[in-house]
Amino acid sequence: MRINDVGGLQGFGPVEVGEPEEQFHYEWEARVFALVRTLLRSMGVTLDEFRDAIERMPPAEYLNSSYYERWLAGLCTLLTERGLVRPEELT
Amino acid sequence: MTGEHHDSDSATAARVKRVEAAVIAAGLTTEAELDALLEVVATKASPRNGARVVARAWVDRSFAEAVLADANAAIEELGLSMEAGPQVRLKAVANSESVHNVVVCTLCSCYPVGLLGPPPTWYKEPAYRSRVVREPRAVLAQFGTHLPPQTEIRVWDSSAETRYLVIPRRPEGSDGLDEDELAGSVTRNGLIGTGIL
Amino acid sequence: MRFSVGDSVRVKLDDPPYHTRVPRYVRGRRGVVTEYQGDYPLPDTVVLTKGADRTTQPLYGVCFPAEELWGTGQLTTDGPFEVSVDLWESYLEPLDARL
Repeated sequence: MRINDVGGLQGFGPVEVGEPEEQFHYEWEARVFALVRTLLRSMGVTLDEFRDAIERMPPAEYLNSSYYERWLAGLCTLLTERGLVRPEELT
Repeated sequence: MTGEHHDSDSATAARVKRVEAAVIAAGLTTEAELDALLEVVATKASPRNGARVVARAWVDRSFAEAVLADANAAIEELGLSMEAGPQVRLKAVANSESVHNVVVCTLCSCYPVGLLGPPPTWYKEPAYRSRVVREPRAVLAQFGTHLPPQTEIRVWDSSAETRYLVIPRRPEGSDGLDEDELAGSVTRNGLIGTGIL
Repeated sequence: MRFSVGDSVRVKLDDPPYHTRVPRYVRGRRGVVTEYQGDYPLPDTVVLTKGADRTTQPLYGVCFPAEELWGTGQLTTDGPFEVSVDLWESYLEPLDARL
């Protein structure tokens, strides 16, 4: 059971109904969106593999990350596992 | 959620710049390609599409039956589709006096993006994803949606390849409204099921 | 195709160390098949083979009453509800498969 599998877990508090509506709250989120869209295609990575990379985040990190931070983590995992970029270039 | 990340945002922004530089240096993409992707004219996907489907289902019984039977085919009659890539399977689920539908993706954030555009932030976060399959009535109440105690709630966990669209109940007293006005009354939350309309 | 609409099924207990699309809260739970959704590649296999094996298998909509997932306590506090989950064929077994 991985940390993304949250159905039924307790303690997350109220749903934040009034969150800002725009897709990207910060410029960097839009850059992450573009990076993931572009690189998944050029790396030949399936959506399933991208999800898998996000799911393998350490639980504490997953729970403390926002949505696009999780995208960023998944992308960096794929890049380093496939030997495309050195980990120290992605910190 | 966003408030809690204030301190980390400049750190994350700096990290993203380094990641971008690294992948460009590795020849995996170019700055122009990334910029172009963000500048692409906004897709036509928005909750207005879902609202049009709902309004047509309200005024046209045969369309209502068609959209429940095969939503992908039915929405094409309105010039709509699940954009981007191979046709993503869409299923429309209708609210009634006895059943109220609400949609979630507990495992990640699957949502009918091709038709409705991106999901709201709360939809993608653990608070909603964890709770709506366990206490749907309490979650709906947070959205100001209070259902009679005998109404059955049906929660749809989009765990695989189907994406769900809720068809809210047509509001009482709306007989005099035309299709456009009816579409205008449908909200994004109504299409997810956290709202009544 | 192993299952038909109306069949009672149980979600297998298997909890693999790799990517899967079985939410933990339905493992071992009994549900009813409400829909056959078509044939799609199993994500578990797609990831294990890095996209090489995209053999398809049937995908079903399966409905679980609240009390099956959470016990009867939930009904008294939240009213009647059910949860529908979309599950691939290899995640499911016929209801009487185990004694």
